[in-house]
Amino acid sequence: MNDSVLMLTLMAGIGLGTPLVFGTVGEILTERSGILNLGVQGMMLFGAVAGFWATFVSGSLWLGVLAALVAGAGLSVIHAFNAVTLRVSQIVSGLALTIFGTGIAVYIGKAGSDPLIGQPSKAVFEPIFPETLIDLPIVGPLIFGHDALVYLSWLIVAAASYYLFHTRPGLTVRAVGEDPASAEAAGINVSSVRYIHVMLGGALAGLGGAYFSLALVPSWQDNPIGQAGWISIALVILASWRPWRALWVAYLFGIAGRLNFTFQTLEINVPATLLDMLPFLLAIIAMIALTSGKRARFLGAPAALGIPYYREER
Amino acid sequence: MSRRFIVEPRGLAPWWLKLLIPIGSVIAAMIIGAVFLAITGNDWVEVYRKMADAAFGSGRGFAETLVSATPLILTGVAAAIAFKMLVWNIGGEGQLIFGAIVAAGVGIWLAESTPQVIAIVAVVIAGAIGGAFWASLAAVPRVYLGTNEIITTLMLNFIALNLMQYLVLGSSSPWRDPEATQFPQGRPIVESGRIPEFFHRLDWGLFIAIGVAVIAWFVISKTRSGFEYRIVGDSFDAARYAGIKVPRKVLGTFLASGAAAGLAGSILVAGILGKMDPRSLDLGLGFTGIIVAALARLNPIAIIPVAILMGALNNAGPALQSIGVPSATVQILQGAILLFAVAGEFLISNRIHRPDPAAGEAKSEPEAQAA
Repeated sequence: MNDSVLMLTLMAGIGLGTPLVFGTVGEILTERSGILNLGVQGMMLFGAVAGFWATFVSGSLWLGVLAALVAGAGLSVIHAFNAVTLRVSQIVSGLALTIFGTGIAVYIGKAGSDPLIGQPSKAVFEPIFPETLIDLPIVGPLIFGHDALVYLSWLIVAAASYYLFHTRPGLTVRAVGEDPASAEAAGINVSSVRYIHVMLGGALAGLGGAYFSLALVPSWQDNPIGQAGWISIALVILASWRPWRALWVAYLFGIAGRLNFTFQTLEINVPATLLDMLPFLLAIIAMIALTSGKRARFLGAPAALGIPYYREER
Repeated sequence: MSRRFIVEPRGLAPWWLKLLIPIGSVIAAMIIGAVFLAITGNDWVEVYRKMADAAFGSGRGFAETLVSATPLILTGVAAAIAFKMLVWNIGGEGQLIFGAIVAAGVGIWLAESTPQVIAIVAVVIAGAIGGAFWASLAAVPRVYLGTNEIITTLMLNFIALNLMQYLVLGSSSPWRDPEATQFPQGRPIVESGRIPEFFHRLDWGLFIAIGVAVIAWFVISKTRSGFEYRIVGDSFDAARYAGIKVPRKVLGTFLASGAAAGLAGSILVAGILGKMDPRSLDLGLGFTGIIVAALARLNPIAIIPVAILMGALNNAGPALQSIGVPSATVQILQGAILLFAVAGEFLISNRIHRPDPAAGEAKSEPEAQAA
């Protein structure tokens, strides 16, 4: 049972979905505070190389995770400065961050006399529970068969959801994303809330990147993350800005990413390139069907998303 | 309450500042790049010298720079005319690719005996139509349903990219060369549809691109339609009061933007590539166009020199690899240029000055009390 095509597909879906969970939940936190950051792809790739490098040098996986978090958050500060302090175009700034971050990551991977490129990782995240638990039918692999970062991602989803919808600071974040002027009038420091949540988003994107380089494909290549950063931005909409939904849609797309392999085993012929279109196609359909006009509010899009906030205009 | 600096919005920035910001952005980015190169043990002076030499050092090198600049002029115009009207078309990438798909389709379908002029015009125009069509997939929902175009245009990039890969690498479509059995590639378009070269690999497509930039400038700054366009770009409400049909203007701009990007695709297909080559069309030309537009401050004429600069950078990448420096240096520089250019917009739209000790205090006092 545990070796069936269905089970292998589900397990691979969770694996491929995990970096998307990190990226999507991070971008949800950022967007909930009213800032759109299109730099996810760049932050993720930078996190991937930073995590890989730190583990490569130290041999410690958790130092790698720390480096990825710091790298993602560090890069995102540039965007926060542009979007919050200078209030210039968030769209252009985010794209610039992607180009810059991608450049740095690829550069670091190739720099020096003994470059990282092509090297296997010094350590790899592996399942943490004993074999006997993992061998249990069905629940074994699905519940016990993962590495520590998968459990961390569940924790982060639960924490982010609780934070946003059941705590006072979470309410503050949503208020800032909905109506910054009123939030400011209520004594909230809009700028610092936005800085913090852009950085949280950056840190999680970095972690998502490290999941690629330290767990999924534990060696360094030019771009180990594919288009996961861009997919995360799409998933924010499909998850309608809610962390738990982010978990499910990320796994759904993880499974979709694996389908082409599954179809091969079942001898069904669907071209891989067409399957790769799926997340983007669904995001557009969801966008048009669900977020047009007034329905966007109903779905949960923060009202002030992407709009620079001028305190002077109050 | 006294502040050390006062920031206030300003109406018109002086012309020298508008020139200084882009130049300053390039210099600042080069400093960042130099620091990066130095940290990783490279001689940055040598690297920059090598880049300049590769891009401008010889007639052949400069021709290659112009070859790289040609599509960037068009994707730059595509981004600029949209952004000026606050239409966030970041789908230049996808519109370029779909333009290339349609252009190559027409170029393959045309008979070998088609007269050259007709064939070239047909292929080139087909790309513009393809680009406009791909833009319409985001433009129509934006205009009639209010769907945010940022995400839809972004997502359409990846759909177009996968579609192109499917047509050439993943299927036996008419776009795939049936004779290339070992390594899949695009099927060449008819010989009469190819734009002739005039200097090394440089073809007349360059002048089509420059022509489009000049036309865009002329329409925006010299015609009635362009005047209305500028009003819409300044304020949707003001335009509505002035009796301008805003939705139609937005739709027209969006489609024109897509057509310009699509034209970049067809000029590549009819020019240097001669076929739809997925490996050459996946180089981020649409995104680089956004850098070009931002650095040119959305001015279609300024786009031409800026695109040449970006073309030079793109062209210098392979030369760097030959001296053992990662070609990603180019991307770092381009990303940093864009980050500085977008941050520089702050200085153009705001005035920063020291508070005037006498008047400043008197002015800020009642403000502080009111708040």
